[in-house]
Amino acid sequence: MTQALRTRGWLWIAAGTAVLIALPLVVKSSFAIDIFIRILLFAFIGVAWNLMGGYAKQLSLGHAAYFGLGAYTSTILQIDFGISPWIGMVAGGIVAMLASLPIGALCFRLKGPYFTIATIATAQALMLIFLKFRDFAWGAEGTTIPNLGNAPLMMQFEAKAAYYYVALGLLALGLAITYKIEKSWMGYYLVAIGEDEDAAEAIGVNAPKIKRDIYLISSFLTALAGTFYTQYIYFIDPATAFNFNISIEAALVSIVGGIGTLWGPVIGTVLLETTSALLQSWLGSSVGGIQLTVYSLILMAVILWRPTGLMGVATEAYARYVSRTPARA
Amino acid sequence: MLETVAQAVINGLLIGGIYALVSIGVTLIFGVVKIVNFAQGEFVMIGMYISFFLANQFGIDPLVSLIVSMPVLFVAGVLIQHFLIRRVLGPNDMPQIFLTFALSLLLLNLALMLFSANYRTVHTSYSDEALHFGGLYIPVAKLIAFVVAMLLSAALWVFLHTTDLGKAMRAASQKPEVAQLMGINPNRVFCVALGVALALAGAAGSLLMPFYSAYPFVGQVFVLMAFVAVVLGSLGNVIGALVASLMMGVAESLGIQFVGADSGLIVVFAMLLLTLAFKPTGLGGKAR
Repeated sequence: MTQALRTRGWLWIAAGTAVLIALPLVVKSSFAIDIFIRILLFAFIGVAWNLMGGYAKQLSLGHAAYFGLGAYTSTILQIDFGISPWIGMVAGGIVAMLASLPIGALCFRLKGPYFTIATIATAQALMLIFLKFRDFAWGAEGTTIPNLGNAPLMMQFEAKAAYYYVALGLLALGLAITYKIEKSWMGYYLVAIGEDEDAAEAIGVNAPKIKRDIYLISSFLTALAGTFYTQYIYFIDPATAFNFNISIEAALVSIVGGIGTLWGPVIGTVLLETTSALLQSWLGSSVGGIQLTVYSLILMAVILWRPTGLMGVATEAYARYVSRTPARA
Repeated sequence: MLETVAQAVINGLLIGGIYALVSIGVTLIFGVVKIVNFAQGEFVMIGMYISFFLANQFGIDPLVSLIVSMPVLFVAGVLIQHFLIRRVLGPNDMPQIFLTFALSLLLLNLALMLFSANYRTVHTSYSDEALHFGGLYIPVAKLIAFVVAMLLSAALWVFLHTTDLGKAMRAASQKPEVAQLMGINPNRVFCVALGVALALAGAAGSLLMPFYSAYPFVGQVFVLMAFVAVVLGSLGNVIGALVASLMMGVAESLGIQFVGADSGLIVVFAMLLLTLAFKPTGLGGKAR
């Protein structure tokens, strides 16, 4: 029975992957591909956030720090040293991991809302540093990424679909890592810390070490997204790279979709980004603030009525369905 | 040189008074209801817009519109506690943090939709007036704001220490279970705490209006400052928040004077990070 379920699960995933790979071959509209890329990218950032924020309930609103560090590391390496962003992407991830150590050492001293505030402050402080020091990072004006035409080795593509596949690859990586962690001891430690940190420590979980490790992984993945995004929009400045909205969306998609679940961030992103795309096509982008107004209303509704998110709703519906249909096997 | 320092300190103290109104609200809610209100800055913004529209439509002085903005925000606070926050109180952090955070996002973006991102200012007869002491320069509007802010903080202290309701609030903040056994209705106390905190934020908004521009994001500046001040001043401690706010104002102003115009916030963040590194329980030193 479990074996059958597992096989069925893998079949679903294989079918879904096939559809996602075929999608850009069928859909040619560049507007639609653009939305798909946004969905994949933010789902990936959400997955990275969810590892720490979802499973261990360390509710960071400062993940833009790592997004920005990833973006800046690869861009500086590319423009000043001619190093490919593929290498820069990994370098950015490593820089983000190194940065997460002191940031984590400070922020993890605080619990609950004050941890959240401290993470906001670190991301904002990093943005201010990049705004202020013009010598190594072009200051407030930022810079455009030199357009090399079709240069796959420099992560630049003529076809938008290529970016789609890179983003899809990133999301697959994030989900695979989450799946591995969820099934490992680390996953159980994380959930234990998320449920009750003191109790977890009392039964022998080394909470500071586990939190540090998951922060390393989470910041590494977030930095990859930063590099990708900069290559995709050919532009970088502190306000884009360290945008608070990135931190917000990372948390939001996970909470709306289902905090601390494998697929939660993906489902949340599909809902939020689709809503946002529809709003934009109805109202145009002229009405500032409409997107986040709607996001915040969705977030409030989820928190007040279904704190487990859409995954929770789906699980309940499935449980009802199963209990209605008598077991066949 | 000495004069420049003195001037920077004065500027910092004056704006620190406004920070204090916001921080005291945050710390009051944290102390009594045990949640952090991420939307506190947005209520400063609402206070500013109330004063702006009263001044613009009816020519009412922003200082007079305090008597409108404070009650309006008091009622808003009671409603928010009763209909929203009450539903998420419990051991779980996530709903509490993200409910008030969602509220902050909602108010900010509604303001952006309704009022656009334009800067709104009110010009009063005293907006450009200043007192001169030797080489020192004290803008009248900021001085009035500071004095009123200190009076309101003192009034809050008297309320918390002499009235039954104030004592009930302090009791509920120190020992919630015992307070409940003594017949204190927690939701009623929480409603008052939210109301008072939001009224203070509204007052901060009205007091700012003669010398500061209103725009949808304005609250973010003040709320960040307040969070830092509240950590510095020990969470939940009203006097600590007041002292820390004045210090933050001075630190920011010295930063602007000696490091550069855009470095005020860097100084503030540096202070936060140093506090966390060396004294995570705040300057008051009491363990949480």
